[in-house]
Amino acid sequence: MSSDLVLVIVVATALAFDFTNGFHDTANVVATSISTGAAAPSVAIGAASLLNFVGAFISISVAATVANDVVDASVITPTIVFAGLVGATAWNLVTWYFGLPSSSSHALIGGVVGSAVAAVGFHAILAEGLIGKVLIPAILAPLLAFLVAGIAIGVSYRIIGRQRPGVVTRGYRYGQLLSGGLLALAHGTNDAQKTMGVITLALIAHGSLGAGADPPLWVIASSAAAISLGTYSGGWRIIKTTGTKIIKMDSVQGFSAQGAGAAVILASTHFGYPLSTTHVINGGVMGAGAAKRVSAVRWGVAGNIVTAWVLTLPASAAIGAVVYGITRIFGTGALGPLIVTIMSLSLLAATFARRSRRGAPVAAQ
Amino acid sequence: MTATIVDWSDLLQTIGASIVAGVGITIAFSVVIWGSARFADLRREERPGPAGVALTISGLALAVVTAGVVFGVIVMTTK
Repeated sequence: MSSDLVLVIVVATALAFDFTNGFHDTANVVATSISTGAAAPSVAIGAASLLNFVGAFISISVAATVANDVVDASVITPTIVFAGLVGATAWNLVTWYFGLPSSSSHALIGGVVGSAVAAVGFHAILAEGLIGKVLIPAILAPLLAFLVAGIAIGVSYRIIGRQRPGVVTRGYRYGQLLSGGLLALAHGTNDAQKTMGVITLALIAHGSLGAGADPPLWVIASSAAAISLGTYSGGWRIIKTTGTKIIKMDSVQGFSAQGAGAAVILASTHFGYPLSTTHVINGGVMGAGAAKRVSAVRWGVAGNIVTAWVLTLPASAAIGAVVYGITRIFGTGALGPLIVTIMSLSLLAATFARRSRRGAPVAAQ
Repeated sequence: MTATIVDWSDLLQTIGASIVAGVGITIAFSVVIWGSARFADLRREERPGPAGVALTISGLALAVVTAGVVFGVIVMTTK
């Protein structure tokens, strides 16, 4: 009974994380289209929300990686997964509060790794999966998006260089409906699968599923719905950072950045790499800007984003470990997760109330 | 140690596919734009032959873009 209650809390927390992932990360997906004027904000966010939902159903490779290749499922308990999720959600909200597009995916993996180490020790970590499927792709993916967008924009400018700017701008704006749609689809398939993977891990730990099982349909559908709703709720502060503060983009750059991002995320998803869509799209945006003119990229802002990236894994791991420690004060049953949930919700309500008294945090542009 | 932990075959395939798809689709779409713009200019100059060629090139490039996107989604959904 107690473990069933913990499982229910874990699933609810995972879906809440998925929701925050939606409004935190998907802003990056639509920022490029909004920045170049290819789509109105409400249209871009509505379409991204729908495509996130659809994208969540097209693959389960990343979910399998998160459930089976990062931590040893045989030593994990639902409470460990719960503490990791709280760590990830807390870090997501901190970076959202300060308008930094950090990685929800790395926050999730960092949170689970941190709580697992605190609970069981370092032998709970599957180094091969963590290094080979998370850390190395995490470093390579934004560099790859930077390179792909840089090459693509260089060749594109040569092809369309002598044509009338009006025709070119209009054409690429239509193109961005395609590239932005693909990016939203890619985001849905990669990011929603991380939540599916974590819920599957909790179901395996609870004994409801066997080791190595795929996520059940209800897990896929609920994860898809949660990220889609989160996306629809927006994330204006981060849209502003990504869309206008890194570089000023034209529609050719927007198309190249989105195309590069979608290609990298979809190819990585196929091989089960749980990437950060935030890292990838920002890599693409910077590549598209730097290829045109290196000074066009506001490297100071880009540097702040890189700092947030570097901090994400250790910070969310530390919060996950602390949360696990707090839950253990109240024993191994459901009391610890229940108290942490109540404390977290109270803190969240107080934070939002404080922001509301000071006025809306972000104005839509 | 890294060599045994990382599946370089999968990683290199990911890098290759990303470059081919990301650069390829963008170039093909640029040809669509180029062909459309040339078609409009040449038609205005009343040169139907070259305008037809530009339109054909643009149409073929659009077919490449469409085929690339459809192929990518099929590969994703069939693993």
